Amino acid sequence: MSISRRTLLRGVGAGAAAGMMGGPGLMSSAFGAVGDMSKDAQHSLFSKFKGNVVLLPGKYNGTVSALDLSAPETLAWYNYGLAGIDMPIPHHIAAMPSADPYKTFDFYQTMQPPGAPYINENSPQWRNRGDFKMFKLRYDGSGSQNSIHVVNDISATTGMALGVHVSIGVGVNAQKYVAFADGQKDMVLITTIDDDPKIVKAFRADYDPIARQINVSHVFPDSSTKKFDFQGRKGMKTSHEAMLGEELMPADPTAVFVDAFTWHPTLPLGAILIRRHGCCVIVNTDTWEPLALVSTAKGSPDFFPLVKQSGYTWTFSVPSVLTPLHEAGFITSGQYFLACNNVLQNNIAVFRSEDPDPRKWKKEAFVEGFGNKYLPLHMGNVPDSRWAFFTIWARKPNNGFICKVDPKTWKVVAKWDTGPDPHTCDCTVDGQFITTVYSGNQGGQSGLVVIHADSNEVVARLPSAAGHHDHVVVPESWEGLKSSRSTSV
Amino acid sequence: MRSLRSAERREGGCALSHFAMTGAVAAVMAVLAVSTPVKADSKDGIFPSADQVGGQVFPSGLKPGDAFPVDIGVYDEDAKKVDFGSVIKGKKTLVTFFISAAPASVAELGKINEIAEKTKGTQVVFLNADTVGVALMGGPGAAIAETGRTLGVIKRESKINTPMFVAPNDALDPKGLSNRLGFRGLPTSYLVSADGKVEKVFVGQHAWQPGDI
Repeated sequence: MSISRRTLLRGVGAGAAAGMMGGPGLMSSAFGAVGDMSKDAQHSLFSKFKGNVVLLPGKYNGTVSALDLSAPETLAWYNYGLAGIDMPIPHHIAAMPSADPYKTFDFYQTMQPPGAPYINENSPQWRNRGDFKMFKLRYDGSGSQNSIHVVNDISATTGMALGVHVSIGVGVNAQKYVAFADGQKDMVLITTIDDDPKIVKAFRADYDPIARQINVSHVFPDSSTKKFDFQGRKGMKTSHEAMLGEELMPADPTAVFVDAFTWHPTLPLGAILIRRHGCCVIVNTDTWEPLALVSTAKGSPDFFPLVKQSGYTWTFSVPSVLTPLHEAGFITSGQYFLACNNVLQNNIAVFRSEDPDPRKWKKEAFVEGFGNKYLPLHMGNVPDSRWAFFTIWARKPNNGFICKVDPKTWKVVAKWDTGPDPHTCDCTVDGQFITTVYSGNQGGQSGLVVIHADSNEVVARLPSAAGHHDHVVVPESWEGLKSSRSTSV
Repeated sequence: MRSLRSAERREGGCALSHFAMTGAVAAVMAVLAVSTPVKADSKDGIFPSADQVGGQVFPSGLKPGDAFPVDIGVYDEDAKKVDFGSVIKGKKTLVTFFISAAPASVAELGKINEIAEKTKGTQVVFLNADTVGVALMGGPGAAIAETGRTLGVIKRESKINTPMFVAPNDALDPKGLSNRLGFRGLPTSYLVSADGKVEKVFVGQHAWQPGDI
């Protein structure tokens, strides 16, 4: 890139510089080191994405990068080896809102050891490498050198290290909480969102295969250290995160494969997702008391009944599990709670979720037609809830696909084979475009795809060699976070 | 609606599965590095339906009074096929299935080994039913030799003298071992009478007492 094209705009001079160049586009709100791509041949293609910074964790290359989708260029990137991790595996991600993501924003990143067979297949030399971690990080675009740095090692601060989904509270829980989960330890941790986070609540879930019951317990930090003792591999039930289909495989008998915590957009409720047993614990986020265990399989009752509460343990009877699930979350409006059933049933359960009492929620419909090769996996929202998007994953030799569902009919109305091994969906801040990543089964075709949410056109495809398992568009507001990594994962 | 592109066209002939190697004990895993042909665990990436695997995620499985199947595929540490019927025929036997991917499963072997040394009249056999992590080796069948080597490491490091065997499993195959016997958690132990009937079933970690077996 030539010097003339690469004008760096900083501080208060940015607006003036933009005016002098006569370019409205990229520069008007950018205060960091942002390239002027207005003369690039591809400018007309990408300028429509102005205001969208996409965070891309590289699960297979140990980095996280911030992409200005409107350029497109990487604004900054960070290798977690700098945080002392040997063989870092950046896994899932969530971004705090920012009115000017070119200037600064905070985000959360989880990571897990490379024991997960998705990553390392049978490479024994990786077995003792990597770590469970949760980091709070900050993007700084205020100077001449954009950067990403760690603000807090939340796993060290709290003593609990969890490696799967992270989600930030919205609605009544906005500006308060962030949740982390892990299916090797079957734990969930809620902390405050400040730079020195405080433990708010933690849960553990265990299956009793003899009684066929799930116990959901509050777990507490040591009273003297004020921390948990679950850093590193401590608390691990299984040596790796369960693969799709491994819900049927022999594991630690108590394993339930907790995967995420998703937040209701308006009510003081959240959901602990339990993959192996096809159910979700609906939690009161004022008291953190489990209120209901919703069963998501077609043909199952709407709930598994509470058998007893003893101290801080709630015991639910789970006599029969018709299918596992993967992710579940709320549509942006909060009107529906959607659950991606998979492996034995491949459908998406639709609960009406407007009632503050989750014991009154009912399954109203199922999105169906995925067959026995394609597994509903992740869910993506748009701000006005006009569509819901899903990642439909498949084992080789099948690619999987992204699909669009009409919430008025619960029918699939469009689908795209974006590439092998598709992962999460998100939307641009204006809700007009869907972003999605695919990782090529750890080594093949991979990249980021942008789809027009209404016209169904694939409008952009960017290559990446990082092997993205997740990504997120930095939301512009707390209201915008409702269609990001909060209500769904 | 846009049409799907051909998965076959994009994937070519390679069928490397996601279902790949794992393990709980680093030292155990250190012996597993091999270069072998790449195959998928099962054909075409198909997942089973509920009725193919016992009706649900957690089928009822073998229960006391049921005949224990002696025709399951079992191999010794040298990957040689073993007639499991002859191993347990006429002998009261505790058959313990375990998986190295669950630390609790490996830990239980030592406890059972200890109680077995104190118990007369009942033989104990350990069967490694690892499924995950064998894709690069060509699926459960082709990974028998490596799983056999894993047995050797476990026996050596845990100082276990109980006979160990490999029992290949494919949980996505309706005829796979875990679907046939109906276990989803390991360790799972079956106390089998001399006449081949299941007397007791132990799922998960257990506070073993001499009278248990």
